[in-house]
Amino acid sequence: MATILKADNLEKVYRVGKVDVPALRGVSLAVQEGEFVGIMGPSGCGKSTMLHLLGGLLTPTKGRIVIDGEDLTAASDAKRTDIRRRKIGFVFQRFNLFPTLTAEGNLRLAERIHGNGADDPDRRREVLRMLRLQDKMHHKPLELSGGEQQRVALARAVVNRPAIVLADEPTGNLDSENSEIVLKMFRELNDRFNQTIIMITHNPEAAAACQRIIQMRDGHIV
Amino acid sequence: MDSIVVSNLRQRPLRSAISILGVALGVALVMIFTGLAHGMSEDLQKRSSNVSAEIIFTRPGSMGITSSSANLSTKYVELLQKVEGVESATPVIRYFYSSGPWGVDQVDGVEWDSFSKMNNIQLIQGRAPAAPDEIVIDETKAARNHPVGSTLKVFGPGLYRVAGIYAPESGARAKMSLKALQDLLEAPDKCTFIYVKVKNPSDQVAVARRIDQAYPGNKVQPTRDLFASVETSIPGLSVFLRVLVGLAAIVSALVVMLAMHTTITERTREIGILKAMGASRIYIISEIEREALLISFLGLVAGFILAVLAGFGIHKATGLIFHFGAWWALTAALIGLLGGAVGAFYPAARAANLDPVTALSYE
Repeated sequence: MATILKADNLEKVYRVGKVDVPALRGVSLAVQEGEFVGIMGPSGCGKSTMLHLLGGLLTPTKGRIVIDGEDLTAASDAKRTDIRRRKIGFVFQRFNLFPTLTAEGNLRLAERIHGNGADDPDRRREVLRMLRLQDKMHHKPLELSGGEQQRVALARAVVNRPAIVLADEPTGNLDSENSEIVLKMFRELNDRFNQTIIMITHNPEAAAACQRIIQMRDGHIV
Repeated sequence: MDSIVVSNLRQRPLRSAISILGVALGVALVMIFTGLAHGMSEDLQKRSSNVSAEIIFTRPGSMGITSSSANLSTKYVELLQKVEGVESATPVIRYFYSSGPWGVDQVDGVEWDSFSKMNNIQLIQGRAPAAPDEIVIDETKAARNHPVGSTLKVFGPGLYRVAGIYAPESGARAKMSLKALQDLLEAPDKCTFIYVKVKNPSDQVAVARRIDQAYPGNKVQPTRDLFASVETSIPGLSVFLRVLVGLAAIVSALVVMLAMHTTITERTREIGILKAMGASRIYIISEIEREALLISFLGLVAGFILAVLAGFGIHKATGLIFHFGAWWALTAALIGLLGGAVGAFYPAARAANLDPVTALSYE
């Protein structure tokens, strides 16, 4: 398996007023193509910061990130956005769907942003069938349950075939039944499409779905 | 509905409606003011073009756009008729008066026989004014429910009886006898100007020069110059219209800017999501600009409808004439659209430069 993501000696320091607050203190990580990796650790240990760095939403104070052969840390802001658009799909704890759009509208928006004629109805149908959302396409987020909303968010993240899906506590806002459904979807995506997934979680049951667990504490991988 | 632009407008209907109305008011303001200026100008020119006299003889400063005085002796009528090349001359008093809250109106005092003969004006109903409280009116005024025999208020406390209806329209829409108006104004043997018709129209310049030489100190003007466009004859009107257009553009831009600024503040988190999904700065700016342009376009359509309805209502209530020209409609359209696009640009650029992590954590 090829290495799809490599992070070397990542450091991130936040400036809060006149005080430097280190969030990551030299984290190195390699993820292979098709891996399902879980990141666990107590609150404030730097998990979310690392996910934001890996997704190009933040730039590291020090260190290097290479995604699918492209150096994220050397890229300009516009280039980083472009890499994120082409190679990364995000799933958030709070779903973050567009409330004014239907489920299908949210997916089509992702396709439009992706561009390059990304309107692929076959892919969309395939993803929706797998996530069992065929009959929810014309519903707006507020008309869906939490589990359904997260499945739409997951569909949106993978509809453009990203190299990596980054999930920030995707079951954090769900009850156990919906959590199980969503985790099952993550596993299925990983199995059927060989989708690389990096997921932050506090939930041991969610972590059990992952092939590999990375534990973090105080800005380090332990 | 999977268009984020349209769905955003539908999601907040009241704010969308207020924004559209704001743009519409700016557009309607431009259309109404320019339509009124053009309408009145064209009406005046049309009425002036029906004057057959080639020369107007008057005193300097005795006639303005909305005021006049009767300070010219009617003795000049006889004197002018003796000038070589002059066919006929007829005196006129033009009197401007306040017509309610809507502005000024005018009435002409004429010697009907000589005036109508000189300018080929016919009475199509009734007869010429004879008594001091009689007037004749043109067809436009008659169409506003003033048939022959009816009475109407012109100026002063009394009512005037419509003795006849004349055509074509020329000068003031209401005319009374010169003597009656002289008596009312306590200006016996006076008039405002004298229309002079020349025997050979191609000699009018030479005739005007002879009149000027014979009676210096008075004003001798070709009628074609006097009745030029109102827009050019009223000092500052074109400047006023341009200032108005500029203000309308600023109002449109500010309304859209405020609307988009509020929208973006409310949707900070959504902008963070767009950024997380890989939306470029240009994409975010273009989405916001598209929304602003849609607001502006709807405001434009509403503004045109509002202007036409307002023009119709004002015309019905006051008789003021509107003419909505294509050029000003295009200008108003550009103002509405450009104002919206420019107004939205700052909030759009601000949104495009938001930090994605900060935006995602916005509550």
